Amino acid sequence: MKPDTPTPGTTDLDEGTLVARARDGDVRAFEALVVRYQGAMYRLGLRMLGRSGEAEDVVQEVFLTAWRRLGTLRADAAFVTWLYRMTTNRCLNVLRARRPTVELDVDGPVSQRPDTQPERATEISGELAALTAALHELTPAQRACWLLREAHGRSYEEIAQILGTTNQAVRGRIARARAQLAEAMQPWR
Amino acid sequence: MEVNPTDYQLPCGRDIEELWDQLSADPDHTDAHQRDCPHCRTARDSLLALRAATTRLTEEQVIPPAGLTDRIMSAVRAEIRRTAAVTVPAELGPVRISEQAIAVVLRFAADQVDGVRARRCVVRARPDAPPGVIDVELSIALRYGTGPAERVLTAVREAVAAAAGNGVGVRVAGCDLRVEDIY
Repeated sequence: MKPDTPTPGTTDLDEGTLVARARDGDVRAFEALVVRYQGAMYRLGLRMLGRSGEAEDVVQEVFLTAWRRLGTLRADAAFVTWLYRMTTNRCLNVLRARRPTVELDVDGPVSQRPDTQPERATEISGELAALTAALHELTPAQRACWLLREAHGRSYEEIAQILGTTNQAVRGRIARARAQLAEAMQPWR
Repeated sequence: MEVNPTDYQLPCGRDIEELWDQLSADPDHTDAHQRDCPHCRTARDSLLALRAATTRLTEEQVIPPAGLTDRIMSAVRAEIRRTAAVTVPAELGPVRISEQAIAVVLRFAADQVDGVRARRCVVRARPDAPPGVIDVELSIALRYGTGPAERVLTAVREAVAAAAGNGVGVRVAGCDLRVEDIY
């Protein structure tokens, strides 16, 4: 029997069991975790970066790193918080690395880039397009806080853990983001 | 909240965050000031528009690119650690079976016991023992109300020993069971 032989009903198992098995080198259990969480991580990456290719790269790296470092995850730590933390940090790194090339992008708005076309096409709602554009006017840290809270439903405490900061800093960033986004949404009221 | 209030204060002195909290609690509620104040009305409308757009954002179907799972898993499989192996005596000469492969068989056996989910399973060849003798450490989750833990644990031990003997051809010398969780 190979180590990755399917075990029946793997996808129905609770997270604790899947994580414990994955720590043990059970590839099928890890795959069930990938299937369970890749969508949320991809959505976060896409909203953070605005480019599907980059978001996909981030998600792949996050899960490969998760596989390599599962052994160092504290047994009682929440796996999903850990994933959010790695995804957020990688997105912030990508944005940091991207910044020096911003001047080179003046030829056209970011939304014209070929690798963002599929998402733009699905955004039939002007309201949603306005919000997406306004999100990219926020600082990356504000955007991360706001998305984790409003789009992913994470608590202030969890977001503070994910970003390695305090509850107060998270509340401040979300308040600032909300004020700025609300202002941008004024034409849509 | 310890943030600088001037950032979120409207010209009338009201605070945007308070307005947001109020909207979240009861979207229809307004006080006398808010009904007459143009700043509050504008802010309220903007926040409502933001809320509507946020709902659209969360409801929008964003599907990861096709084949993402496969790409992640093929990278993972390429990294699977080659673990130590147990020597198993066989008619045509000894066979080496990886400890991880044996662990999969034993976990599967423990799973077959009603009310048990196997979690971690570590298999080691017992040092200074003849070939084909192993020690097992197995952590499990028990379903609440399955019955006396002792009876269940005995059933797990028997299932593990049987699978090791019949399925792999090794003998379990020690079997440490740990109940890690109840589900």
